[in-house]
Amino acid sequence: MTTTSSLTAAGWLCLTAPLAGTILILLGGTRISRRVAAWVSTASVGAAFAFAVWGFVVLHGRSGHLGTYATAWTWLQAGNFKVGLEILVDPLSSMMMLIVSGVGALIVLYSIGYMDGDDEERRYFAYMSFFVFSMLLLVEGGNLLILLVGWGLVGLSSYLLIGFWHERPSAVAAAKKAFIMNAFGDGTMALAFFVLIAHSGSLEFGTSFQTVTGLPQTTVDLVALGLLGGAVAKSAQIPLQTWLPDAMEGPTPVSALIHAATMVTAGVYLIARTSPIFEQARTIELIAAGTGALTLLVAGLIALVQTDIKRVIAYSTMSQIGYMFLGAGVGGYSNGMFHLLTHAFFKALLFMTAGLIIHALADEQDIRRMRGIGSLMPFTKWCFLAGALALVGVPPFSGFFSKDPIIASTLNLGWYGWVFWACGIAGAFLTGLYTFRLWYLVFPGEPSAFVREHHHRYAGREGPLTMLVPVGVLTLLATFGGWIQWPPHWTPITNWLSSVAPTLAVAEPTSTQEYVTSAITVLVGVAGIAAAYAVYGSKRLAVPDVPALRRLLEHKFYFDEAYDALFYRPTVALTSMLRTQVEEPVILQTATDVGTTTLEAGGAVRRLQTGLLRTYALLLATGAAVLAVLFLVLR
Amino acid sequence: MTAATLLGPGVSWYLCVAGFLFAVGALGVFVRRNPLIVLLSLEIMLNGGNLALVALSRHVGNGDGQIFALGVMAVAAAEVCVGLGLVVAIHRRRLALDVDRLSELRG
Repeated sequence: MTTTSSLTAAGWLCLTAPLAGTILILLGGTRISRRVAAWVSTASVGAAFAFAVWGFVVLHGRSGHLGTYATAWTWLQAGNFKVGLEILVDPLSSMMMLIVSGVGALIVLYSIGYMDGDDEERRYFAYMSFFVFSMLLLVEGGNLLILLVGWGLVGLSSYLLIGFWHERPSAVAAAKKAFIMNAFGDGTMALAFFVLIAHSGSLEFGTSFQTVTGLPQTTVDLVALGLLGGAVAKSAQIPLQTWLPDAMEGPTPVSALIHAATMVTAGVYLIARTSPIFEQARTIELIAAGTGALTLLVAGLIALVQTDIKRVIAYSTMSQIGYMFLGAGVGGYSNGMFHLLTHAFFKALLFMTAGLIIHALADEQDIRRMRGIGSLMPFTKWCFLAGALALVGVPPFSGFFSKDPIIASTLNLGWYGWVFWACGIAGAFLTGLYTFRLWYLVFPGEPSAFVREHHHRYAGREGPLTMLVPVGVLTLLATFGGWIQWPPHWTPITNWLSSVAPTLAVAEPTSTQEYVTSAITVLVGVAGIAAAYAVYGSKRLAVPDVPALRRLLEHKFYFDEAYDALFYRPTVALTSMLRTQVEEPVILQTATDVGTTTLEAGGAVRRLQTGLLRTYALLLATGAAVLAVLFLVLR
Repeated sequence: MTAATLLGPGVSWYLCVAGFLFAVGALGVFVRRNPLIVLLSLEIMLNGGNLALVALSRHVGNGDGQIFALGVMAVAAAEVCVGLGLVVAIHRRRLALDVDRLSELRG
C-alpha cells in the first residue's frame, strides 16, 4: 500500500466511522438497549481516533509531511465550476482530526455515565456521533464548499444537542439562539465564497488562494471579512458571542464537546486553513486579532460575576478562544493551534469535573451553594486543580506553554502590538482571578449545609468509572500535554504545521521577548490567583461594591439587551405594523370585498332567470331576429 | 334541371308558405301554455323550416338541402320522443300541464 492510498483510506475511515455509528443507532431504534447505543457511539468515535492516529503516523513518515487530496466523486457541476466530495489529509487537518476524535471519544465515554438513566439516551448518542462526524467533515473538507457543509452540519448538531432536553423552554430557546447566530456566520461565509467563485471560478483551496493574490485589495478584504464573520460566529467572539453561555442549557458533556473538541475551535481552524487569504488582507487579519483581544478581556470580566459553574467555564472558553484568535490573527497560526490543543485538554477536563460535581449534588449548578465539596470529592478536586492551573498557565501545566507564545508574538507589531500584548497580560490576570474564584468558592473549607444534605456517592466512588477514567486521562493530558512544544527551544508543532500555515516573520518573537513575556504572564497569573485567595479564600479583602459596574458585568455588557433593542424589537414592531396596516386592511379586506361583490352581482343577475319557458322562447326569437336584421343591414 | 323548367308555382310561393308555417308555430309556442300544444307548435316551426330547405334546394338545383331536411326530421322525431316523455312524466306526478306554472328554475 502506498503512503498516498493509506492516507486516503485513513481520512475516509476516520470521517465515516462516527457517521456509521449514528446510522447504526438510528436504525437500531428501540431494538438495541441504551447501553449498546452508548457503546456503539463511543466505539465509533474511538475508531475515528484510531484512524486519525494511523493517518498521522503515515503522514509523519512522508517526506515534507506532504498532504493528499482524495475525491470520492464530483458532487456538483455547473459549467466550468466543479466541486467534488473531496477530503484533504495534511498536517493541519491531521492535527485537528486527532483533537476532535481523541478528546471527542473521551467525552462520549464520559457521557455514558453522565447520561445514564436519561429517557432519550439513544437519540443523545446518535447526535454525539453525528456532531463528531460534522466536525471531522469540517476539518477534513478538501475544498471550501465541503468545509462549509461541515460548518453547517456542526451548527445543526449543536442545535440538536443544546436543545436536547426539549421539554425545557430555556433549552429550546438557547438552541435556536445558537443556530441563528451561527447561521449569520454561515451567511457571511457563503457571500465570501460567491465572491471567490465570481473571480476564480473555483472553491479549491489551492486555486482560490492563488487567485486572491491578483485581486483588488477591496475584494480580498471582502472575502476575508466574510470568512472572519463565519469564524467569529462559530467561535463565539464579540460581537456574535451571546449564544455560547446560553448553550450551557445542554447536557454538560455536550458543553465539553462544543467547547473543547468541536465547534468553537472551528474559527481558529478556518483562519489557519485560509491563512493565504487572510495574509493578503492583513487589515482584516489584524481585526481578527483585535476581536480576540477584546473578547478575551470582556469574557474574562463577565466570568468574574457568574454564579453558575458551567457559565464561568463557558466564559473562560470565550476568553481562551480570544487568545487563539489573537495568536492566529497576528500570524502565529501554530501558536493558535497549539493553544487549541492544550485548551481542548484542560477545558474538557474542567467541564467534566464540573459535571461530576453537578451529578453528585443532584443537578445543582450554583457555585454559592457548593462550598466545601472538595473534602467529599478529593479526586475531582485535584483533577479540577490541574485543569485550573493549566488554564491560568502556571508552569509546568499545559496552558503555560501555549499561552505565553501567543502573547509574546504580538510584540513586533508596533503600537497595536503593545495594545494586544497588554490585553493578553490583563487577560492572564483575569484568568487567574476568575478561575480561582471558582476554586475557592467551590472546593476548600467545611462542606456547607446544602452540600452535606444533597451530596451522594455513586457505588462508593465519586462517579461511575466511565466518567472517572476520561477525567483521569484528561488530567494527565492537561498537566503534561503542553510539553510537546516549548518555544523557542522545542517547536515540533510549529514545524509540523509549517508546510500549511507557516508562522509569519512578524509573529516570531526574539528569545528575550519570549522569556520576559513568559515571566510576566506567569507572575500576573499568580497575582490573579493571589487576589482570588485574598477575596474569596481568606476573605481578608472585601470587593468594593460599585453597583453600576456590577450591573454592567451581570448583564454581560448588555449585549443581549442591545441585540434585543436593535434587532428583535424593531422586527417585531415592523411585523405587527405590517399586520395591522397591510395584512388586515389590504390583503384580508380585498379578499372579503371580492367575495361580497361577487355575491351582490350574482343576486342582481339571478332575476334574469324567470323560469318561464315562454319568456325564454321570446328572448331567443328576439335575439335571432335582431341578428337576422343586423346581418341583412350590415351585408 | 333549372328553375325555368320547374313545374308548378315559383319558389317565392313556397317560401311564403314556409314563413307562414313558421310564424304560426312560433305564435303557438309564445301564446299557448299547454306543453303538448307547445311541442306541436314546435313541430310546425320545424316543418316550415324543412319546406324552405327543400324548396330552395330545388330552386338552386342542389340536393344538399333535401338531405338536410331528412336530418331535421330525424332530430324532430327524437325531440318529440323526449318532449312527449316529459309530458307523460309531468302528468304522472299530477303536476299542472301548464308551462307557466312549471317554473322551478326561477332564479
